[in-house]
Amino acid sequence: MNYEGHGNREIRERVIPESEVTEKIRKLKQIPVSGRCARECINIAYGFFTPLEGFMGKEEVDAVCERMTLADGTLWPIPIVLDVKEEEIRTKKIKKGDSILLTYTASSLAMMEVEDIFRLNKTKIAEAVLGTTDERHPGVRMLRGLENTFLGGKIALVNPPEFQPPFDRFWYTPRQLRKRIVENGWERVVAHQTRNVPHSGHEWLMKGAWFSANGELPVEKLKTGILVNCIIGPKRTGDYIDEAIVLCHQRLCEARYFRDDIHMVTIALWDMRYAGPREAIFHAILRTNLGCTHHMFGRDHAGVGSYYGSYDAHRIFDQIPQHKLKIKPVRVLEWWYCPICGEVTYSGLCGHSQERQKFSGTLIRSMIEDKVKPTKLIFRPEIYDKLMESAEKYGFGSPFCTEKYLAERKPVFKLPALW
Amino acid sequence: MAQGCPINIWINEERYNELQELGLANMTEDVLAGMRVLKLQCTEKQKDELLKFYPAAKFDTATTQSIELLPPETKEKMFQLVVKNKSLKVVREFLKGAKEG
Ligand SMILES: [Zn+2]
Repeated sequence: MNYEGHGNREIRERVIPESEVTEKIRKLKQIPVSGRCARECINIAYGFFTPLEGFMGKEEVDAVCERMTLADGTLWPIPIVLDVKEEEIRTKKIKKGDSILLTYTASSLAMMEVEDIFRLNKTKIAEAVLGTTDERHPGVRMLRGLENTFLGGKIALVNPPEFQPPFDRFWYTPRQLRKRIVENGWERVVAHQTRNVPHSGHEWLMKGAWFSANGELPVEKLKTGILVNCIIGPKRTGDYIDEAIVLCHQRLCEARYFRDDIHMVTIALWDMRYAGPREAIFHAILRTNLGCTHHMFGRDHAGVGSYYGSYDAHRIFDQIPQHKLKIKPVRVLEWWYCPICGEVTYSGLCGHSQERQKFSGTLIRSMIEDKVKPTKLIFRPEIYDKLMESAEKYGFGSPFCTEKYLAERKPVFKLPALW
Repeated sequence: MAQGCPINIWINEERYNELQELGLANMTEDVLAGMRVLKLQCTEKQKDELLKFYPAAKFDTATTQSIELLPPETKEKMFQLVVKNKSLKVVREFLKGAKEG
């Protein structure tokens, strides 16, 4: 089994064996962490963020901002930091060299060796990573919302998360997923990053990327798979509910729009920074660690508003030396519906640019809100039905996040009480 | 007639067939992959009355330039009025019915 991840480093799990946990954490000072830090702890511990072994120190963050690398020169675009209330550090007398226990939702989460305690210039990070300091940018708001003191150092999970239905069957750690990829007989895997319920535009984006990735390989026995990797993180009102996103992607396969031997749906925990090109590199690294060989990038990948050019996230890969990143970007223009061609087609092929009809999230959303089933060239009927079923089952009647959903939804994962 | 604030009624294949049988299909505009729309025109005053009646609805000036988030049943009623009257000018009658409960 090949467990080599990003930066040519082996993917190792940093999880303390159950039998040793009680003794190890008994006397540790406890620090509660935010939802984002908890998700990132889990990612570090299972190797989603290989080669990271913990939260970054000051030197590492500076290298990421200034050179887009870790301190050792490995390509890395986004700081991964643990912010803590100044008061916690002071009152609990936390100092370099301490071992501490990170807690989340009043349960133990991870042990941390404190190697650095520091402050950061948030404006400088925003400029370097997001390319803007505009408070309307959600990534800037997220940065501004961080506490002002940061802890750097290696972590190890003491309490593995228990994923709740319907997410549990879609949760694979990188090592588990790599095993599945080998069992599937896939030599190439093309990743699809998503936070959407798939319409036909997304379906064709995936199909087109599969053709690109499969390239010159023999076609009698297929050895290329599509990995739909749904991002689970904080939600805003109006977003599709998480349960609908994963279940609708799975439905595309169950309803045979994708063969089950070339398609797989999984989830990853990640709080989007909307960093456009830098986030595209991050997504490429994440999927490298998941065992993907290719990653599709469409228009406006991981962008927001008009902060980035539509294809900035494609162009940044031109600046990355080949040996720095194992995964290959598959660059995709737009899929649209053409009434002249009479089909969903590709803007790089169809010349009817005057007549073309673009897939618009706003229009499709309006149809769904009105509960008028879209035509099957927009939304597969099975997907629409699954979306409405998910709305009833998980969304308090709505396929989109409402205040009620955000307040009362079931958690994606739970940390069991340790004693 | 204020051109500025229409209500979009989505027309999928089923609704389109219904309109075709009544000879009303040409009232629709093709929007995306066979999905059509009927644009019901509202006066400024009718728009204000509708928004008062349905507090969750809003006039979306940013993207669709239409009155959005009306309850689906409301839009279904409006569609049925179009079919009954064979006309897009149904908002007045709709509001009258709504007020009478
Ligand atoms: Zn065409």
